[in-house]
This record gives sequence, C-alpha cells and structure tokens, in this order.
Amino acid sequence: MKAILRRELKSYFSSPIGYVCIAVLLALFGLLYLNVMYSGSSSYIYMVYSSMFTFCMMVIPILTMKSMSDEQRNKTDQALLTAPISVTSIVLGKFFAAFIVYAIAMTGSLLPCVAISLFGSPSWGEVFGYYLGSLFYGAAMIAIGVFISSLTVSQVIAAIATFAVSIFILMMGQISSLASGTFIAQVVDWLAFDSRYSYFTQGIFNISSAVFFLSVVAIFVFLTARRLESKRWS
Amino acid sequence: MIEVKNLTKRYGTNLALDNVSFSVEEGKILGFLGPNGAGKSTAMNIITGYLSSTEGTVTVGGYDILENPNEAKKLIGYLPEIPPLYMDMTVKEYLNFMYDLKKVTLPREQHIQEICRLVKIHNVYKRLIGNLSKGYKQRVGIAQALLGNPPVLILDEPTVGLDPKQIIEIRKLIKDLGRNHTVILSSHILPEVQAVCERIIIINNGKLVADGATDRLAHDLSAEHRLIIRVDGPENEVLHALTALDHVKEVLSHGEKEKGVYEFSVEAELDYDIRRDLFALFARKGWPLLAMRNTDLTLEDVFLQLTSGADHAKISSKMKKGAEKE
Repeated sequence: MKAILRRELKSYFSSPIGYVCIAVLLALFGLLYLNVMYSGSSSYIYMVYSSMFTFCMMVIPILTMKSMSDEQRNKTDQALLTAPISVTSIVLGKFFAAFIVYAIAMTGSLLPCVAISLFGSPSWGEVFGYYLGSLFYGAAMIAIGVFISSLTVSQVIAAIATFAVSIFILMMGQISSLASGTFIAQVVDWLAFDSRYSYFTQGIFNISSAVFFLSVVAIFVFLTARRLESKRWS
Repeated sequence: MIEVKNLTKRYGTNLALDNVSFSVEEGKILGFLGPNGAGKSTAMNIITGYLSSTEGTVTVGGYDILENPNEAKKLIGYLPEIPPLYMDMTVKEYLNFMYDLKKVTLPREQHIQEICRLVKIHNVYKRLIGNLSKGYKQRVGIAQALLGNPPVLILDEPTVGLDPKQIIEIRKLIKDLGRNHTVILSSHILPEVQAVCERIIIINNGKLVADGATDRLAHDLSAEHRLIIRVDGPENEVLHALTALDHVKEVLSHGEKEKGVYEFSVEAELDYDIRRDLFALFARKGWPLLAMRNTDLTLEDVFLQLTSGADHAKISSKMKKGAEKE
C-alpha cells in the first residue's frame, strides 16, 4: 500500500493536477476570508466554509477521476494486479493519496484563520468542526470517486459521473423533504450526508456521524476492490 | 514448476481458451506460438493471476494462483503484451516503485543497477519513461519483470519494437536467463522461438494444436521428403527419366535456372530415401547432378499448416505418431 500511496502522491505533484486543485481551493478560501475580514467580524467564518463546501465537492472528482481509470487504460493495472499484494491495499493506496492532497488544501484553509486569531478571537470550535466535517465528508466522496473511476477507462466520464453523484448527495436532504413523513424520507434522511455533516458545523464532534462517514469509505473501498476482482472474471 | 490443467476461458459466448493443459519443468524455456487472437495473452494473463479462468487450474511452484495468489505471484516476473509503464515516472522511480510493489528483499541499489546493466538501460536511468523510444520502454518492461529475480518469467512478445541488434541481445539474455529460470515466452516470430526455446506449444483458436521439442516439431511434420535437384541435361528427357523411377510420386520442373541447367522437385514415397537412386540414374545417363537439397518443413510451414485448419487432422495424427516414437 505504501508503494502505491507514494507513487500516487508523486504523480499528483509531477503533473499540475495536485498543485492546481490545492491552489484553486486555497485561492477561493483566501477570497472568502478576505470578505470575512472586510465584514470585520470573525463570526462570519462559518460563511467561508459553507460556501467552500460546494467548491470542495467540485475538486474531488478531479482528484479521483484518474485514480483507477488511468491504470486500466494504460494497462498498468496488470503490474498492480500481478504483484504479490492484495487488491484492497491497492485501493487504499489510491484512496489515501487523493485524501492527502485534499487534506493539504483543507489544512491550508486554516491559515487565514490563524491570521485572524492574531487580531480577533474566532470560534475555534466551530472552525475545527467545519474542518473535521469537511475531511470526513470529503473522505466519503473520495472513496465514492475512486469507485466510480474503477468503473470506466475514461477520466472524463469518471469525473462527470462523480460530480453528478456528489450533486445528488448534496440534494438528498431536499429529496427527503419532498416525501416528508414517509418511510422513504426517513431512509433518505438517514443516508443524507449533509445532516450528518451539519453536526460538525455546529462544533459538535458527533461520533455516530464520524462512524457513518468512515463506513461509507469502508464500503466503497470494499466495492472498488470487488470491482477490480470482478474484472478478472469477465 | 508451472502446471496448467484443463484451462478454459470464456468471454461471454466467445471461447478464448478451450481445455488447454501443459506443464513446464524448472529451468526450461517454453515457446508459446499462435496467430493473433489465438489466446496466447489470455493464457499468460491467467497464469500470472491477472485474469481468472472459467475452468481449470494453474499452479506455479506448487501454489495455486487462485488459492495462494500472493505466494504464487512472488515467484513470477511478468512482462505483459503492453509493458505496464507509468509515463510520468523516470526509469529510476519506476523500478524503485516496482521494487517496493513486489516486496523484493534483495539489496535495493545494487539489485536495480544490476538489472539495468543486464537489459542495458543504465544510460536512460534518470529519464522520463514517456520520453523513451519503444525499444527502451520494452526493455524497462523486461527490467521490471526481472526485479526480485523471480524463478518464473512470463514474457509476452518480449522483442516487439526492438531493432535487430537489440533483438539478438534480448534473445541471448532470455537464453541465459533460461539456465536458472523457468521461462514462458510468447511470440509470433518463429525464428525467435526456434532460436530461444527448447519446447514449443502452438495454440490456435484457443486450442492446443501442437506441443513438442522445437527441432522435432519441424522434423516430424516434414514427412513429405521433397527433394529439389538441379541437373545439367535436357529438360524433357530428365523429366521422363525421373517419372519412370520406382518410388517416385511426383516430379515437377521448375524450368531453366542456369544455362542448360534445369531444376526439378521430386517427391518420393513416404519413408523411402530416393537420393541414391537419383544419383545412380544421373550417373548412368551422364547428366551431371549439380545440386540436391531437402525441403524439410520450416517451422513457418508447420505453423501455417497447423493454424490454417485444412490439414489439421492429418497433422495431428502425424504429431501423435511422432510423440509415440519419442
């Protein structure tokens, strides 16, 4: 797993993708923080993260689009699948590489907050809540993105499909309100990512939400591994 | 070392491999021949654990590729048809990555350098793989197969894209490796297989159509014993005299090849050596015999006959006879 993780990370930064994703996110964060500073109150920091959330969901498909699809297209998966390692460790290597790039951008977003704290007193509980929530939510989306990438040999299709799925997941809360009160609404609500995420935004570290997101990661890592296995039988 | 039993692979309704069985002993070089789409790569992909068979088993060094994949895979160095190279890595990064991936325990620097010298890629060691020529890419592919010094090497068309000098070098390398490795090599270049392999398996349409030692395979199948002769004498008279000989089945004139010299092909009966009779005939008639050569089937002919399907039955029965003789 370590070898694959190292290779993937290197490839994110040997091509512009890693830099561009991080730079775009940090630039947008910077811009939104600038607004907070103009408004003169650190209590508006929540606005930064709630608007950045959508942008982050747009960047994740870019990070995951080539993780499996490129391997299949260049036939380099032959090297991975004939090496004495388990399929799961291949997928985990891919997942963590994308996650680390994402986490670098998210961690970078804390810097303006540090600057603000020199002159004011931002609510760190809230900020960390957003930060952790974004990491958990992002991890789940990355796992889904890696899975989608394993379904196709085209990076573009992987990116668009992942983007579509992430929009669908964002809208799950609204979907459940269409059928409010029914059993379906309950199920959708339970599955909806944003209700789980909202605990973090209130500065609450909700264990069940954390477990929920980690479970989504585990399920999709498992599904990706099964997908790679199933290709052998086709 | 490698045991393949009743291997069958279906892609949907398409039968890619049909009940193929063979085994390779330790330290042997096996040639895998077949036209495009015959199932060579599929078979190799199954042996290395990249694909799974629909039916049948593969064991490498006693380990079943499905039941103990990691143990079996550790024994195999695999060069697929398209070398699995990352274009955004340098040769150095790539070999180090593959070294980690394969969990090699030999001393890293020393081992990688040794392989680079062996396949002659030390001069491009720090270059990006994407910028290398096809020949170099192929050699980097061979280098990654050699990492960890696995006892089994499976090479899918290893000399594709190389220039003649490199081809000779790589063939020599494979031959050298064959002394202490078990090698399966696929190719559609027959002289290559002939030069390198001790044993050949020919598959066509997913079926195993021939399996035998390289030299015997060509010999056993060339039972026609057609002779080509050149005689300094009048064409028609020679033709008549030849046709009149006992045991001669067929005589053809190929026309005048030099001034006053005609070429004929003579096919004798099966298992009859006609050469002495020919000599005696020409000596009697006073026609100088200038050349006589045997037309043993080349491996090309064998291959074409086996894979064209027309003479299939005839040849397999001959093959069996040959096998019994052995």
